Amino acid sequence: MQKITLPERPQWRDHARDVGFSFADMHGEPYWDETSAYAFTLDQIEIDLEDPATELHAMCREAVAEIIASESLMERLAIPEAHRDLVAESWKQGDPEIYGRFDFAYDGKGPAKLLEYNADTPTSLYESAAFQWQWLEDQIAAGVLPEGSDQFNGIHEALVARFGEVFETGSDLHFTAVAGNPEDYGTVEAMGWAAREAGLGAHYCDIDKIALSTDGQFLDDEDRRIAVLFKLYPWEDLLRDDYAGHITGSGCLFLEPAWKALLSNKGLLPVLWQMFEGHPNLLPAFFEADVADALQGNGAASADTAAAFGRAESRLTAGHVLKPILSREGASVSILKSGEVIEQSKNTEYSEHPRVIQAYAPLPEYDGFRPVVGAWVVGQACAGIGIREDRSRITQDLSRFKPHYIVA
Amino acid sequence: MTKRSSRVSIAIVGAAAFTLAGCREEQVDASAFPDLQSCLDESARGGMFTPQECETSFAEAEALHVESAPRYDSLEVCQEQHGVDACGTEASATQGGSGSIFMPLLAGYLMGNMLGGRTGMAAAQPLYKTPDGRYTDASRSSTFSNNQGSTKLNTSQFTRPTSTIGKAPMTAASAVSRGGFGSAGGSRSGFGG
Repeated sequence: MQKITLPERPQWRDHARDVGFSFADMHGEPYWDETSAYAFTLDQIEIDLEDPATELHAMCREAVAEIIASESLMERLAIPEAHRDLVAESWKQGDPEIYGRFDFAYDGKGPAKLLEYNADTPTSLYESAAFQWQWLEDQIAAGVLPEGSDQFNGIHEALVARFGEVFETGSDLHFTAVAGNPEDYGTVEAMGWAAREAGLGAHYCDIDKIALSTDGQFLDDEDRRIAVLFKLYPWEDLLRDDYAGHITGSGCLFLEPAWKALLSNKGLLPVLWQMFEGHPNLLPAFFEADVADALQGNGAASADTAAAFGRAESRLTAGHVLKPILSREGASVSILKSGEVIEQSKNTEYSEHPRVIQAYAPLPEYDGFRPVVGAWVVGQACAGIGIREDRSRITQDLSRFKPHYIVA
Repeated sequence: MTKRSSRVSIAIVGAAAFTLAGCREEQVDASAFPDLQSCLDESARGGMFTPQECETSFAEAEALHVESAPRYDSLEVCQEQHGVDACGTEASATQGGSGSIFMPLLAGYLMGNMLGGRTGMAAAQPLYKTPDGRYTDASRSSTFSNNQGSTKLNTSQFTRPTSTIGKAPMTAASAVSRGGFGSAGGSRSGFGG
């Protein structure tokens, strides 16, 4: 894995404007940045990223079964009691998953380390699947990259295949997001394109315009019944909305399904570590409440974690990250080394939530930027990657998207 | 074998992925007839449909009538929705139907040109009376002033009506409330991760 400086495509900003990629610059900062790119070998892609991501998704499915069988884990993941059956039912009846994104710390040498799983509402799909793909095509055509250069990016094709596998041709799907956010909308629209290409009808409706019918079904802004709803809006919020109680019985299939609430939750990390301790792609992780005293030297870890904590203690003391179980875009995350806070998110939006502790895996640094590798899972297999980098150790919403290629 | 897609939809202008799939853009020539004979008569005068199409479409509308007509558990409710003398029992309309379920009588059929064989579409739809003397389709998503005449209609008018046993998407319904999703996110501007 190397960072390579490359000439930008001369017309890329016009192209971005033409295709409606309106958030290529955000808040006066570049978001899409092709002044350099990350280069990988095929082995790095296949052995270090693709296979582990597919395997991790399978492990996460095992974790879902574990969590829904445990009232106390549901509690620790803050799934509202009234909706635990909804979450469990969506798993038991096999509601299909469409996509997710693992975020990895990866330096091209050791194994990729799972930082978190954006299993419910991952964004940057359009940049990863389409704009990045076009960048490679253009740069090969321009001779900037040699013929035979490749990219790990079968995301769009995999999505088309996935939609085709799950739904009958001609089915009508609704897509929704919060109004007025071009970045979220870009992801939703990329999904809509894939659904259409799979022969499905795709309809959009802002989330606050969804209605409830007299017979308890959800309707779009033209009062048409919604049978399938892809929502770029997280379950943790959905379950706390006024309509939450109407989801069961609405006859509406939600995408991602409700069981993804268990995976997009940082509480997943200690569950995975408990189930698969020592896995090369996992970092030691615990619920803070179980180990906080022990970590500060004020007492012992809870009885059922004491042994595992003992095995991980030196790694946690060397460096750990505190993350609220519900947190997005790095909010309320802090990094501690030897007891000292070395970095802390200024966004405290999620600070009231319980937290998990995860051993610190520093991101590699290239020219003052730290890349996070996002590995896209479509259905149950990894289908591509997208990279975002930030000067900060905590990747946030203003992080830049960087293209990548596989060396010919 | 490359690791990338062979082709990607990269046109992502505005709401293009959705408006193209929306229900508004495409229109077809459509005609309504009160009965089979009036379709055959018009075809004899060189109308839009051949006698064969009249027969096929009428049979299709009749089959849809059996499958998708609104069903009511009392004659009163049916008459309230469709007018006096516009209802019968399921038993009289379908073989093996129930004598205590009521359905409106078939009061015409709506035919669309060039719609045969398209998934989720029905080239002919049954029409029913409304209590104010107009005509509506099986899902009651559209109401027409007459059951005779030709016009251009959106293809969505020919969405196959759902079986009245289970309800399916894309039929219209009336809303009891709106806006119950999206509030828990509070002041956050983006919801992706």
